[in-house]
Amino acid sequence: MSSQGTAKRGRSSNYEYVIARVRSRRASLFDDDDYRKLVRMGTGEIARFMEETEYESEMNALGSRYSGVDLVEYALNRNLAKHFDDLLRWSEGALYDYIARYLRKFDVWNVKTVIRGLYADSDATEVEDDLIRAGEFSERRIDQLLNAGSIEEVVEQLDDTIFGDSLAEAYEVYEESNVLVPLENAVDRAFYEMMLDGLPDNPEIDSPTGLYVEFLEAEVDFRNLRNALRLARSGADIDPSEYYIEGGKLFDEQSLAQLASNFDGLVAAVRESTYGDDLDQALGALEDAENLIEFERALDAALLEYADRLSNRYPLSVCPVLSYILAKEREVDNIRAIARGREAGLEPDEIEQELVIL
Amino acid sequence: MIENIALVVNAVLQEGTTGAAPAIPAGAAAALAVGLAALGSGYAERGIGAAAVGAIAEDDSMFGRGLILTVLPETLVILALVVVFILG
Repeated sequence: MSSQGTAKRGRSSNYEYVIARVRSRRASLFDDDDYRKLVRMGTGEIARFMEETEYESEMNALGSRYSGVDLVEYALNRNLAKHFDDLLRWSEGALYDYIARYLRKFDVWNVKTVIRGLYADSDATEVEDDLIRAGEFSERRIDQLLNAGSIEEVVEQLDDTIFGDSLAEAYEVYEESNVLVPLENAVDRAFYEMMLDGLPDNPEIDSPTGLYVEFLEAEVDFRNLRNALRLARSGADIDPSEYYIEGGKLFDEQSLAQLASNFDGLVAAVRESTYGDDLDQALGALEDAENLIEFERALDAALLEYADRLSNRYPLSVCPVLSYILAKEREVDNIRAIARGREAGLEPDEIEQELVIL
Repeated sequence: MIENIALVVNAVLQEGTTGAAPAIPAGAAAALAVGLAALGSGYAERGIGAAAVGAIAEDDSMFGRGLILTVLPETLVILALVVVFILG
């Protein structure tokens, strides 16, 4: 993929083509009615329902090896990877660069999965099924990671990637404490910081780069907000700045450190911010119910809505693509939640609360 | 100053009436108009065509609509063609 990438970078962006295709795929995602039907099905019925949709080829390919909820889950992962690879295949020029940067998110996911697998002594094939091969890592690198015998080997293999430095640092902490959190944080932070790295600080607001930066800042802000809220609610005595991701405009390191210990102050600060209007409902629910899970769903929905608004306001930019990526991820998460929920015997109403539907 | 402008304008107008040949003859100017219009619509169709092909790739039933939208800018050339008939 990377050799293909350098060849594509020289050309000009083909926004029209990519966005026409992406909009069409966006429109064919599951809607409210489909979810309402799915929530009332058993696991076998869900699998059959999916065979008649978008996921048909993946369901058939994996059908002989898995069954039930596992089949649904792996088909979802594979379908996600297929669609996101398509995005990279279509796009050229700066657009390719933007999308590839964002899709490194799945490299993060894969690295974390491999590390967790090694930590928990899982089987390599089991880990392999959980990977989503949509990021920038080549097939070969992923296979090498899978064959690694220890976490140290993984860290060494990633030495020449963007995660190299921060992972090496975190590995020392890991060796002392034997918990995965520092490693996972290192990967996350390397990703988010690299994403905004090299992009201008104050680009023109209507330019494609400006919109990309605006969207990424929103995502970093939401991520920080989520971390801060979790810390504030759990009351754990952890330094919030350890989890702080640079690049957002909502918090700086100091204000986050102060606010994380003060739950009401944090909510008030968000209400005052530029996202206040978007998150108004969610914040109200948070204050009433004091239910963090619901608020996180609301955050997801708000980010999705924000991406949609950007994509309608600036149709020929990277925003529709990012909005599609988010929506697709939400769909996969939703279906997985339904399938797992049904397997665990949850009531339809309970599952519906878990879903992020716009 | 204003008197000067009047002088210049008169000079220009008189040059036309004295029968000097225009820099571009009428026929060539019309051809140029059609050519430029075609260039403009070609550029417009570039983006629309790309989007239309993208849409058709996802959904075959978009073919008719995509085709119509792609050739819409062609009207510019047809309008430019009118100039040729007016002059000719």
